[in-house]
Amino acid sequence: MKDIFFDLSVRSVRLNFLRSLLASIGIVIGVVAISSMGMLGTNMQLQVKEQLSASANTITITPDAVRMSPGSTASSGIDKTQLNEIKESAGNNVIIPIHRSSTRFTVGSTNGRGSIYGMDQNDVMKFLTISEGDNLNGESDALVGSTLATNLGIKIGSRLKIGEENKSVTRPVVRVSGILTARGMTADGVMADNAIIVSDNWYTSHFGDENLYDQVNVIVKNVDSIPDVESAIDDKVNRKTQVIRISDASSRLSSISSTLGTITTFILAIGAISLVVAAVSIFNVMMMSVNERIQEIGILLSIGTEKGEIRRMFLYEAFILGIIGALFGGICSLVIGYSVVGAMIGSTTYFFLPESIIYVPEGMVIGVVVCVISGLYPAWRASNMDPIDALRAE
Amino acid sequence: MGCEKAEARLICTVMSESPLIRLDDVSKIYNLESGDFTALDHVSLEIQENEFIAIMGPSGSGKSTMMNQLGILDVPTSGKLYIDGRDVSLMTALERTHMRRDIIGYIFQKFYLIPLLTAYENVEYPLILKYKRRDNSGKAAAVLKSVGFDSDMSAHRPNQLSGGQQQRVAIARALVNDPKIILCDEPTGNLDRKTGIQIMDILVGLHQEGKTVILVTHDPKIAEYAHRTIELEDGRVVKS
Repeated sequence: MKDIFFDLSVRSVRLNFLRSLLASIGIVIGVVAISSMGMLGTNMQLQVKEQLSASANTITITPDAVRMSPGSTASSGIDKTQLNEIKESAGNNVIIPIHRSSTRFTVGSTNGRGSIYGMDQNDVMKFLTISEGDNLNGESDALVGSTLATNLGIKIGSRLKIGEENKSVTRPVVRVSGILTARGMTADGVMADNAIIVSDNWYTSHFGDENLYDQVNVIVKNVDSIPDVESAIDDKVNRKTQVIRISDASSRLSSISSTLGTITTFILAIGAISLVVAAVSIFNVMMMSVNERIQEIGILLSIGTEKGEIRRMFLYEAFILGIIGALFGGICSLVIGYSVVGAMIGSTTYFFLPESIIYVPEGMVIGVVVCVISGLYPAWRASNMDPIDALRAE
Repeated sequence: MGCEKAEARLICTVMSESPLIRLDDVSKIYNLESGDFTALDHVSLEIQENEFIAIMGPSGSGKSTMMNQLGILDVPTSGKLYIDGRDVSLMTALERTHMRRDIIGYIFQKFYLIPLLTAYENVEYPLILKYKRRDNSGKAAAVLKSVGFDSDMSAHRPNQLSGGQQQRVAIARALVNDPKIILCDEPTGNLDRKTGIQIMDILVGLHQEGKTVILVTHDPKIAEYAHRTIELEDGRVVKS
């Protein structure tokens, strides 16, 4: 059945087309804000998730600095004994002991600061990729991360002076043999993009800590065996007191996802503010519509229209404004959201995934609901008018 | 019901135990900032079914207030108003709305058609209110035709019609739910003499068909069409 009250609402919207359209633009903006912000946040999460899953096969073991047993050495590191225990309990998976520190360095006349990792040159290729040049060969060879290389103009053959600049001391020099491929954010604790990688020997001879590692990575052959390997290591090494912390991509993922989730909620809330503004403009337009139609409301009431029917008529009108705003908003969200995600994240790979694109229909539904809620009071006011007073209105 | 045939109707009217409309010591007092204003002052009145009544009186005499009471747009401040045997003050707002829709037809001086609806839809509207669906029985078209409205104009909006045409549509709208009572508030007030006479002829015809017609007018010539004239002055009935 075609509802005459719906017809009346459609005609009222058409009669005041420009005004209705302008009010709907508020909803369009609100829907676009909510959808784009939601999609941006989700795409950010998905992007980070994928980067972290690239090292999903890695268990990261770090010393438990807080619970060092009394009487142990001052350095918080994984010692030779613990490393052997890890090797024993980790089965035939790949074990990569890593030294890590932060250092100042100089390239030509430019000073910089970054992480420096020391590891066996044979381990490098097990989890890092060299985009340019070769692996560590000579004793004083070094690999540099892609960001570092780009920012400081480091090339193959460049020489880096490592350590704080001090006129009284000659700083050790490494020669760049290769530049690593960008890794982005990874879950294995090796943030190589802004780092210098040197051989284990070079590191210990300049930074000390021989046989005392900052981190041990276990690359498992079968991802499903991670919980078993972790508990085997835990049982073996942490049997008395907890001396090491064991983590993997899933635990890092959940903490990073939770942080990103909070950020997404925050930016969604900012988007929602625009919907509040839209709600006020819809409310205003609906009140204008009611005020302009007082006599018509009087006629409708006097010839036997029920209050509920009058309310319905105005709620339909708010609903129509919401639908117009939501439809335009949905289309604009796709276009603007796609551009924003592309510009801010640099990739739209995940844009059309359900968990991202769902923000468009969600934003549209919220837009319509906001419109109808804004129409509640004007509709109530219209339905409760005194028919005699309403008829007298000019 | 035995009162549907024309010859039986007169007998029914005479024999009817209760009048169609009864005002029993009705007063309507408006609380204004300048003090209370008594628009109707202890009015008692009976109107039988199939009467043709004119209500006259100078401005401010209470004619409009009386019409609002008869049309159940308002309720008395004191006294009792019975319409079709029911005490209006005991009815809920929804029951009063349904009574307005089902047994009362309004014809206003300013026509008061719904501007967003076409002539046909204006007439169809009360049917939709009553039956909750669009009219496919042809009743709206038939009633429009019966009041002499040109069917070619059915799709026109009120602002595209002349005053006479609008009033015909308004009469058709008032009649379409087959009400017992037709209330007319200066029905010819906005029309030229000739069109006014045509409209009055339609009202006379409706009375002959058995409707109870109550009209408010300033014009003694129009009042002459009625069989009884009620004169109001300062909210009181001075002639009935």
